[in-house]
Amino acid sequence: MAPVVVAEALTKRFGKLTAVEDLSFSLEPGTITGFLGPNGAGKTTTLRMLLGLARPTTGRALVFDRQYAQLDGPARRVGAVLEATDFHPGRSGRNHLLILSRAAGLHDSRVDEVMGLVELTGAAKRRVKGYSLGMRQRLGLAAALLGEPELLILDEPANGLDPEGVRWLRDFLRAYAAEGRTVFVSSHVLAEVAQTVDQVLIINRGRLVVESPLTELTARVGGAVRVRTPRQDDLAATLRAEGLEPTEAADGALLVPGTARERIGDLAFAAGIPVHELATEGASLEEVFLELTADAADAAEADA
Amino acid sequence: MIDQFRSELLKIRSTRTTLGLLLTMIALVLLFALLGGLLTKASGLDEAGEQRDQLGIGGIATIFAALAGVLVVTSEYRFGTIRPTFVFTPRRWRVVGAKLVASMAAGLVLAAVAIGLTWLIGVAIFAGRGISLEVDTGDVLLIVLGGFVASALWGAIGAGLGAILHNQVASVIALLVWVFVLENVLFGFVPSVGRFGPGHAGDAVSGMTGDHLLPAAAAGGILLAWAAALGLAGLVLTARRDVN
Repeated sequence: MAPVVVAEALTKRFGKLTAVEDLSFSLEPGTITGFLGPNGAGKTTTLRMLLGLARPTTGRALVFDRQYAQLDGPARRVGAVLEATDFHPGRSGRNHLLILSRAAGLHDSRVDEVMGLVELTGAAKRRVKGYSLGMRQRLGLAAALLGEPELLILDEPANGLDPEGVRWLRDFLRAYAAEGRTVFVSSHVLAEVAQTVDQVLIINRGRLVVESPLTELTARVGGAVRVRTPRQDDLAATLRAEGLEPTEAADGALLVPGTARERIGDLAFAAGIPVHELATEGASLEEVFLELTADAADAAEADA
Repeated sequence: MIDQFRSELLKIRSTRTTLGLLLTMIALVLLFALLGGLLTKASGLDEAGEQRDQLGIGGIATIFAALAGVLVVTSEYRFGTIRPTFVFTPRRWRVVGAKLVASMAAGLVLAAVAIGLTWLIGVAIFAGRGISLEVDTGDVLLIVLGGFVASALWGAIGAGLGAILHNQVASVIALLVWVFVLENVLFGFVPSVGRFGPGHAGDAVSGMTGDHLLPAAAAGGILLAWAAALGLAGLVLTARRDVN
């Protein structure tokens, strides 16, 4: 299948500052891709170029084989959440959505559907002024979902969400991608998306540092999760069923390479297996992430 | 395009800003119409020219139409809603075009309220004070229709200005400084040029007469040219600039 998003040597300069430099990547349908990098790495600028809000200095950004502005009925193909603050504070959440759905030529009833989907029905007629940051994030997501798009582009959607909200979002995105649709989600915190994404793009200072499936990245980590349980055999079986390869440590704990601590904890919990110890040994994903972005930063400084 | 227009109309209707603008205008119309109608001596209101001034107070709608037009564009930049707006409608000329038309519609509504109120009060006061209406039918048509035309075009001028500058405060200041200071200075010193300004053209369209003002029809053409020029400039600049 043709890629959903293609960036070809995307470059964006603001005067002397190069925000994005020679960035190329593509996204396959049905995948969730994490777009990672520290603040100021060029993530938002890249997303704005994909969505036709900013013009690339050189290079091209294509969505469904076209420049975004050339799409017919873009809201039915692409949904985007850029900033959690893009609302008129004096307007109700429902009116915010009605305005967008009318612009896209959608039926008004779709507004009430998406409000239900993000669990904002009770606050629909309230002015956005009174919404919490988490509610605003969900309202932004509701707007993105109006046209039932095939591609979702989310810029730092977990900002301002409480842990429950983050989990809700994770489950939502997984279910969304399971329907064959594509998600492109940016974050400056790897842990936020590590359990959700299939592949990661890591950029730093506007340049692509890593493009790989998450499993490859975790393999690169070399570290493992150490987990101790009184029901060791049960847990080992559970983990194997998930494609993980636990080994037994000298002290009787299990060592599980290539995964995140959170995942092991979730799996054990789901299987009803008590956990007495859960820790990351060696480098964590987060450390690798920091190391990768720091390397690039040093290299960039050396270039200068 | 129709979809975008419906969207823009809902934007205007769904905040209290518009209501505030409308109420402020109504308060000013009431103030001026009542003061002028009740405090002016009867002998100062029995001539057609003076009655026209009294009945032309509704022309105040033009400045409110312009402010409405400015807000239609700049509040989107101020609150960041311009991003979802352009993500949903990436062909930006559609957005700006719909905003120009919606601002003209807002101008018509403001004109209807201001002119209607002015006439209601004016005619009631004349009747109450036993002053007979001296304004002839042609003038009535000019004041009413011209007032509508001027407000609609000023709505587009405001939207065009907003689409050029994008910044709300800068646009409002630019509008007020031009209308209340610069154009008056220009008209005061060089009336042969100043009368081509949008403010004085607007006055002339809505039935005001005075030394140096253009005839209504010519002024209408000039005002239309201003609206078209600013609208087009706003369209081009908005389409070309990045949205942050």
